[in-house]
Amino acid sequence: MLIQINNARSRAAESDGTAQDFLLFETEFGHHLFLTNGSQVYSIPAQVADDLVTSGGEHLQVLESYGLLSPSAIGNQPLEDPPVRAISLAIAQTCNLGCLYCYAQQGSFGGESREMHWATAHGAIDLLLNNASAGDRVQVTYLGGEPLVNRQLLRASAEYAIDRAKPKGVKVSFSVTTNGTLLTEDDGEFFERHGFSVTISLDGEAELHDSLRPFKGGTGSYDRTLQRVEPLLKRQRRMQVSARVTVTPHNLTLRRTLDTFIAMGFHSVGFSPMLSSPGRDCEMDSVSLDQMLKQMIDCGLEFERRLMGGEKYPFLNVLNALREIHKGTHRPYPCGAGAGYFGVSADGGLYACHRFVGDDSGKMGDLASGIDRQRRNTWLADRHVHFQSPCHKCWARYLCGGGCHHEVLRRGRPACEYIRGWLKYCLEAYIRTLERCPEHFAQPACV
Amino acid sequence: MIDKIKAKNLSAQLLYVGTGNPPTTHPHSAISNAFPGLEMDFRNAWRRILKGLQLHESSNLVVAVDDDADPRLRMLSSGWRLVMIEDTRLMVPVKGPLIVGGPIVDLPDNGFQDPLMPLEWSNALASILSEHAGRTVRCKFENVLDKTLAPVEFDIELRPFFAISTVNGETLKQPVISRDLAPPGELTQSLCSPWQSDYRECACFYWAATRPDYVNVETGPEGESTGHNWMQKDRTPETPKLYLPDDWMDPELVTYLELYRQWEKSLRFVIDGKDEDPVTPPGR
Repeated sequence: MLIQINNARSRAAESDGTAQDFLLFETEFGHHLFLTNGSQVYSIPAQVADDLVTSGGEHLQVLESYGLLSPSAIGNQPLEDPPVRAISLAIAQTCNLGCLYCYAQQGSFGGESREMHWATAHGAIDLLLNNASAGDRVQVTYLGGEPLVNRQLLRASAEYAIDRAKPKGVKVSFSVTTNGTLLTEDDGEFFERHGFSVTISLDGEAELHDSLRPFKGGTGSYDRTLQRVEPLLKRQRRMQVSARVTVTPHNLTLRRTLDTFIAMGFHSVGFSPMLSSPGRDCEMDSVSLDQMLKQMIDCGLEFERRLMGGEKYPFLNVLNALREIHKGTHRPYPCGAGAGYFGVSADGGLYACHRFVGDDSGKMGDLASGIDRQRRNTWLADRHVHFQSPCHKCWARYLCGGGCHHEVLRRGRPACEYIRGWLKYCLEAYIRTLERCPEHFAQPACV
Repeated sequence: MIDKIKAKNLSAQLLYVGTGNPPTTHPHSAISNAFPGLEMDFRNAWRRILKGLQLHESSNLVVAVDDDADPRLRMLSSGWRLVMIEDTRLMVPVKGPLIVGGPIVDLPDNGFQDPLMPLEWSNALASILSEHAGRTVRCKFENVLDKTLAPVEFDIELRPFFAISTVNGETLKQPVISRDLAPPGELTQSLCSPWQSDYRECACFYWAATRPDYVNVETGPEGESTGHNWMQKDRTPETPKLYLPDDWMDPELVTYLELYRQWEKSLRFVIDGKDEDPVTPPGR
């Protein structure tokens, strides 16, 4: 135990002694403690909270005196050559929409429009499945541009993946993110048959959506999207159709958007702030992030009210947060980018994730020559949250993981206050939900 | 509003170590998780039965004297052991065979070169406690380090075993062990971590009053019995029924390492004293 304290001390010393290893918060159920190490959540007597507040630099001794100091769950050692468990295929680096903020620059990632060929999709799925063993679960995601531009390849490659995975005893699942304008009923039948997670990009009600997500000709896409999505909403059994809302300073109407899409029958609705856009259009600033946080909390409180009434209210952000907090998820990375996950470009390049397609800073080899181990392992060493500043000092470091690599490398970390504010609310909501509705956490799935 | 620390989420439940409680009390590492009945080490309930003294849980040695005890008792922590309370001797001659089928001989306490052996606390103290609980008793001690020292005697309070409370002016004995006998965490202190050590060591060879380790037993016409040791790896109906004595180096017996690494594969269900065949799930 003494060694653990010394290690923690040295880390604090490296960070000028200001590393925050816990968060105290209160609800109507009393005082609570979130411990960064292991993402542990406790209810505590007021005396423990007082002792921690007045501990100065001696908080580790206080934690130890109450039996709250445990060995560090995450060390400085980065992941090395982890198995590939998920890929995304940019099967169509082109798009029929001209969204103002698109990271893929209207689908082409700043280059020539192109579509993926069969050999590339085939090779990517082989990369995913070659080293998978019986009992493993792998994921194939279809992205673009607009992936349904290349519908034939989507279907053929999914069926190829199923045919290859089945005899190996590997469970393969599929997801697709689409603007919805090209969906057909036949697509719905295919997605339902194979249990796809279908994410529809929708940015609000008609007027807002149309202003942010027009066709390249300038006309709005809202009516067309909903007309094409509606049959899928009715069909979903194995398939899950969710709405993803990209939040910009121009569509800060979260509660209304959430209620509208939930009423339509979407399996879940989630929000994500636009932090980095190639043209810097529509990026969220501190004022708009503050507004967004207030609205996210408003949506969260409505979720809590509905849950107490036994009503389904699939606000994806809070559902995911409650699930991860309950488990005590703690991780040194924000996502699997460059670790268990690669984005595959139309020409067969391997990238840290779908957002880095065409960007050399995230390139990690290609299908022809394989994964570039050195670049990948250097990435994993560099991106470890202990070596991100100011993340290594933040109490939320193992819940957040340091933030989206793509956004951080492009724009830095403008959303830390927003993320901490949201996580603090979610911790409070977790306590309230656990006290009032503990059966929520007994369910195998939160949605 | 909250009077004690409560671990709320799953990682906190796994990692929190309550004050005084050793790892063996954690749900994932407690032997009682797999062997109900070993939630605690019952011997520890006797350690503080004499006010001011801490006795060894499995011997009659005084291991410590409380800070607030009568200062005259301090000397007892230097190699003294309790040999008599009132007129009841706590050490007795024990006879039995040294090897299976061997002659009956005296079984000395070799650790202290003594012809007598201490009784287990429950057996030694039951009758004394029923008569003297809550009163002062005359205790006699001998020194095991220096046998030239004369025995000493002290009057010491014999604590009640059960908690006492007053309800509506009436003093009632509660069906729980008195807090004075064991501070938080002490009842489990001598359990092992990982739990498999206790499982092999104690469930079979110490807590074996009902011989759970002796399975597939058949009784012969003369009353003799034959059966298997439940740590014996080869236990089919055809396996000769010869009880293998405990020997940690015997490859025929399940080892500690095998229990640590794959207890779920090494152990089998025993129902009504017989090995159950592994259950085959329907459809396989």
